[in-house]
Amino acid sequence: MSSWPTAEIKLTIDGQPISVPSGTTIFDAARVNGIPIPTLCHQQNENPVGVCRVCVVDVGQRVYAASCIRQVEQGMTVKTATDPVQAARNILVELLMSDHPAPCARQQQSGDCELERLANAAGIKEPRFLRRATPRGKDDSSAVIAVDHDSCILCDRCIRGCDDIRNNWVLARRGKGYQAGIAFDNNLPMSESSCVSCGECMVSCPTGALTNKRVVGTQLGEGDVLDPAELLQLPIFQNVSGTFLELNQKAVVKRHYKAGEIVCREGEFGSTAFYILEGKAEVFLDSPIAHVRTEGSSRGFFSKLQSLLAPREGDRRSEESDRPFIPIDASVDLPYDSPIAELNPGDMFGEMTCMSYYPRSATVRAKTDCVMLEMLRNVLDILQRNKSFRAQLERNYRARALDSHLRSVPVFASLTQDFIDHLRDRVELVRFNPGQVICRQGDLADSFYLVRIGFVKVSEQRPGGELVLAYLARGGYFGEIALLSGSPRSATCTALDHVEVVRISGEDFQLMLDRFPDVRQKLEAIARERIEENLRHTVQAQNVPVDQFLAQGLMEAQSLLVLDLEKCTRCDQCVRACADAHEGVSRLVREGLRFDKYLVATSCRQCRDPLCMVGCPVGSIRRRNTLEVIIEDWCIGCGLCATNCPYGNINLHPFPAELDDPARPGHKIAGVRVKATSCDLCHDHAEPSCVYACPHDAAHRVNPPEFFAGLLAQPAPSKVRS
Amino acid sequence: MIEELRSIQHQFGYLPADQLQKLASRIRVPLSQIHAVASFYPHFHLTPPAQAEVRVCSDMSCHLRGAIDLKRGLERAFQAGGPEKVAVRNVSCLGRCDQAPAMSINDQIFCAVDEQRALTLVRDVLSGRELRSEKYDHRRSPVASDPYKGAPQYSVVRQFVENPDWAGVIATLKAAGLRGMGGAGFPTGSKWEIVRNAAGKDKYIVCNADESEPGTIKDRFIMENVPYLLIEGMIIAGLVTGARRGILYIRHEYEQPKEILQEEIDRCYRDGLLGANILGSALAFDLEIFVSPGGYICGEESALLEAIEGKRAEPRNKPPFPGTNGLWNQPTAINNVETFTFATVILARGADWFKAQGTNGATGMKFVGISGDVNRPGIYEVPMGTKYSQLIYEYAGGIVGDRSLLGYAPSGPSSGYLPASMADLPLDWNAVAAAGSMVGSGAIVVCAEGRCMLDMALNAVRFYRNESCGKCVPCRVGSQKLVEMLTGWTEGRASAGDLPLLDELTHALKLTSICGLGQVVPVPIQSVLKHFREVVDEHINHRRCSAGVCFPSRGTA
Repeated sequence: MSSWPTAEIKLTIDGQPISVPSGTTIFDAARVNGIPIPTLCHQQNENPVGVCRVCVVDVGQRVYAASCIRQVEQGMTVKTATDPVQAARNILVELLMSDHPAPCARQQQSGDCELERLANAAGIKEPRFLRRATPRGKDDSSAVIAVDHDSCILCDRCIRGCDDIRNNWVLARRGKGYQAGIAFDNNLPMSESSCVSCGECMVSCPTGALTNKRVVGTQLGEGDVLDPAELLQLPIFQNVSGTFLELNQKAVVKRHYKAGEIVCREGEFGSTAFYILEGKAEVFLDSPIAHVRTEGSSRGFFSKLQSLLAPREGDRRSEESDRPFIPIDASVDLPYDSPIAELNPGDMFGEMTCMSYYPRSATVRAKTDCVMLEMLRNVLDILQRNKSFRAQLERNYRARALDSHLRSVPVFASLTQDFIDHLRDRVELVRFNPGQVICRQGDLADSFYLVRIGFVKVSEQRPGGELVLAYLARGGYFGEIALLSGSPRSATCTALDHVEVVRISGEDFQLMLDRFPDVRQKLEAIARERIEENLRHTVQAQNVPVDQFLAQGLMEAQSLLVLDLEKCTRCDQCVRACADAHEGVSRLVREGLRFDKYLVATSCRQCRDPLCMVGCPVGSIRRRNTLEVIIEDWCIGCGLCATNCPYGNINLHPFPAELDDPARPGHKIAGVRVKATSCDLCHDHAEPSCVYACPHDAAHRVNPPEFFAGLLAQPAPSKVRS
Repeated sequence: MIEELRSIQHQFGYLPADQLQKLASRIRVPLSQIHAVASFYPHFHLTPPAQAEVRVCSDMSCHLRGAIDLKRGLERAFQAGGPEKVAVRNVSCLGRCDQAPAMSINDQIFCAVDEQRALTLVRDVLSGRELRSEKYDHRRSPVASDPYKGAPQYSVVRQFVENPDWAGVIATLKAAGLRGMGGAGFPTGSKWEIVRNAAGKDKYIVCNADESEPGTIKDRFIMENVPYLLIEGMIIAGLVTGARRGILYIRHEYEQPKEILQEEIDRCYRDGLLGANILGSALAFDLEIFVSPGGYICGEESALLEAIEGKRAEPRNKPPFPGTNGLWNQPTAINNVETFTFATVILARGADWFKAQGTNGATGMKFVGISGDVNRPGIYEVPMGTKYSQLIYEYAGGIVGDRSLLGYAPSGPSSGYLPASMADLPLDWNAVAAAGSMVGSGAIVVCAEGRCMLDMALNAVRFYRNESCGKCVPCRVGSQKLVEMLTGWTEGRASAGDLPLLDELTHALKLTSICGLGQVVPVPIQSVLKHFREVVDEHINHRRCSAGVCFPSRGTA
């Protein structure tokens, strides 16, 4: 019991004598005495603000009092429901209804929009006021909460929930008067704001302005459904609203695995992420690390089955990377030499699969008996935004992944342990949403970035349009050129999907350059190369008749195989030559788009926007500096790049392999696995084999801008010069 | 925070998002709160401004003096250049009602502009020429009630330091019957007494110099001509109530009065009239100026306090009142410029002198601003009790073009309009209240024969709609719906149910709005319905506007 001295206040409400402690509001005094007063902006767990005015009562003064905030006074006479009071209240409801889309999302979902309930009770059907002329808009950016500003009545309940109850301070009012609304941070889309998806705003909203989004995909079939109370026990769910978890109850389950049981398999598509509660698991690459080489006969279907795997030493590709770690969709990277690692309680894996539906990057197997949470995207989003979970994530990253991440970057190989330790507490994990620009071409540089999750599009604005230089996956890095040269950013980096980067400040980056001269040297060499390459492309792109090719997607290409149909006798020598050069498997199909008298044969076009790179779960497909595509030897054969290529130019090559026998755990059986290959322009020959082989001089490997410019007899550059 | 935002805007011309982000981490205030404040005040731009940001005042007096045509002319002339060159918008009353129409270009105010001059000014800005700000004549006008006749002596403060008889001061103010001159008319002596008796370690004196209601220009005149009377009033209020800090809250459009006041404050510090030991005594009072980031709502006393606290200027729910829970939740005496000024006058010349100034049975003095269709618009210091007809015909020189009087607003939009037949009302709190209007701040706006009173009502209601803070439902939504209804009447879209609906809406606005702004939103149209019913009827029933102002397709109506 409080020792606060409270005086008893005697007053009359609707003729009923009432006695309550001083400090009580009229609203509460009436409520505890069985007199309900309607309200929209007031709820018991929040401080009253008195903005909707629906709870007004007559206290015998010049104006009515908002009962939710006005305290009782000695001898007060309160009338809560006289005709004039009701009339005023009804007008307020009618005013709000005239700007409210009825039925709103909440009314449709659960029939409990508080405004519409009041309107129905008051018999307000068609508001007599004019409706709002211009809609206030929707914000669909969040994975878990739908925002409909048109349904908002500015009761401030969400704001108080966010600020006062959860202390997140993301929500506030914006604008003034009739233009006022609610805003996240600096009036950002909800998903781009610092919102932690605690759900308090949505739980507080009386209308359909903030509603729960239905679970994406299907609910999880296996596993134990968890009680919200049980989830709230877990530190990683701290400060999430219980109601919110209840609404998302079927999107997270607890699963038990016996030692040796496979949790998920590399290459499989999925939509869930896993969080280890108890036990240890192993994460590893099941596919052998090697290139596909096909030997033997160069004819027929059977030749494909003779594909063999060649180790890197035996089939070295130009510009193949020497990274010592393979990035995977988990809190650790796998060493190239022995691609296996251990996951412990508190580790999460499958975030990228869950957020962006990419194939699994590695196989996970329970090492001991394990308990894990398996969750769908909306629950993962809640977690990723949760402060305590993020703190844990950052701790784990700093402790376990930063090392391998930095050492994966070849130029950083010489960094010493003490310097990495220095960086450990200084790096910052930053999230970006699909489409968000991380840094813009021309901006001043202040940071260096490592990609932890998702894909970053690195592109340049050039005459003739945007050129995508690369899609960087986990393990990739960017931002070094501008920091090195002190010049503005040379490219724009955009989050392609849900991206998380590790930010290293310009200050620390400079420190690194100063302390490790060889890092500086290597970076400078790369930057020079990049700049020269850029210059070359720019010159080429300047004289391009753009529109004609766009329709066929040809301008996308940096390099095309074209067949002059007037010379071509359809002898298929080119196809055979390709197969000969590639151990019996042709990477060339003599079919394709036609332009004028030319056939554009199907082979890798080295697109301006290489869509094939997007989503590779292990980052094994990338560009050389010449923009050609290279597939690294740790490809797991998931086939996503082949699906993504709009021109069908990436093929999956089967090779024999030993696989786990599903019937007898621990035993192996013979099977077939696949790896991807694409045209490599016969990297070890002087000229592509197909071109070399053509007896009619019909096949040409061309640079499209140059080739088509000549073809269309565009104003020659000489004219420009004169 | 307001100061921080102002300095960012000064540096960049607007408030870039990344600067707000930096500010958030520097002053450790959530970004959402900074944005909430920045997006509230009209003075702040969240996007880069046009090369010439042109604002034409559109309220009562300027409306009467051709603001609509001026704005249309500017829009026509600069439409082709695109919005990044010239942006022409309306702005709420700039406080230059005596020199209408007024406009601002890149925050510099120009008065009594015609279209030709406005176009030249904008073209000057576009060609990169610096605009010379318009300053008034520096010579001060004599003020009859000034006890010092232009030579400030601060004798009231001096006397108080010798004999700190706070009870005597309060008694004198009560005896003089001094009431709040900002509009509400609360007895000043009682207000100071409440603050004096309130418990609180830091008390504050706040001067409301944010006069922003259309037609209200008297405080500007007082600040420019007798700044010392105002400052002395604030000091004495501080000494009487025990407040050690005073804040003078002035609208940002009053650049020149601000400079004059700052000069006077600096002089007071030099002369030991302000600071830690006033005139060598143990008494202390500090005074500073706070420049408003804009908006009529800041004139509402609790909204004003919120603005000083760096928040959105949204009125507080009352009670509690500022007298006990004011600035930073401390006891605060907020008075209008004129109130502090008359407090000094009364304390210097005595309650009896003040009471004797009235005429026709009223007591005291009043500064009134007269604008609109009069020959000599301006600010006049008049005895209470003077008839409005006298103010209009004698002080302000009669109606322009020798037209007859149609109606007048005794105090801007909030008093509503009275017909010519009520022009002989005396300037007397009780008499005007009995006539269903109010003396208010004495912002007399005069309408000549030939004006459309429905158009004038719509203009006044639109002002409130524009200036609503949006905190409470009745005002935020109700003012908009009322503007839409009245606009419908002037454009031939009246519905049969409009009049009863207007009455229902009026009932709700008056009784449920948090502050005075919401409560007076329907006053202009209700006054026109009461006194100029035939004007409303011809619009609603016959789609006709005798004044030829309404209906876009006037010829067919």
